[in-house]
Amino acid sequence: MIKVLFFGPIAAATGERETSAAFQPGLTLGGLRDTLAAQHPEAMRLATMMAVNGEHARDMTLQLADNSEVAFMAKFSGG
Amino acid sequence: MKEAVRIQTEDFSQDEEIDALKGSSKRMGGIGTFLGCARDFSEGRDVEEISFDAYGSMALSEMQKLRSDAIEKYGLLDARIVHRIGTVRGGDNIVFIAAGAEHRVAALEACRWMIDELKQRVPIWKKEITPQGDSWVTPHP
Repeated sequence: MIKVLFFGPIAAATGERETSAAFQPGLTLGGLRDTLAAQHPEAMRLATMMAVNGEHARDMTLQLADNSEVAFMAKFSGG
Repeated sequence: MKEAVRIQTEDFSQDEEIDALKGSSKRMGGIGTFLGCARDFSEGRDVEEISFDAYGSMALSEMQKLRSDAIEKYGLLDARIVHRIGTVRGGDNIVFIAAGAEHRVAALEACRWMIDELKQRVPIWKKEITPQGDSWVTPHP
């Protein structure tokens, strides 16, 4: 299972801060994003940043391990 | 002694942070600081409150890396970064950054670099609460 996290404007758009996705061998970050985009197109349009297990991730071909934590994030606005 | 990098809901004291920074080395000849505070006006609208959301564990980790990177890049003697989350009102403190070095140029440049990098690297989002409704902030350059 993949733990998926949403924050800020994306959490507001999805109406949830956390969901899960089924793990399949070979699942990529881009594949997960496509699946979520089908469910939450408005929210995922905001997702310009991603993190896997708390680290910035930009490679959409990155293969996810089972039990990974993946965050889809809008552009940051702290400070 | 409080940690050099923190995310917290409560306000912070600039004096306490600077004292802690100065306490780390007597070789420190210059300290650059940045204080970010909440404005009560934005994009032509009154702002009643600003609410912050964060990916807490990653935000703290990124801020710790940011401090280490700044110390290495600018040869700092020490640095501190504190960011508030939760809800603040106009005039309240949001973020404090302090960089201590032997000389002023490194301290000032490192301070500027850290706040610019924080905005790019640290997963925190702010929402402005206005009489016309709430809106998530689009980052400024």
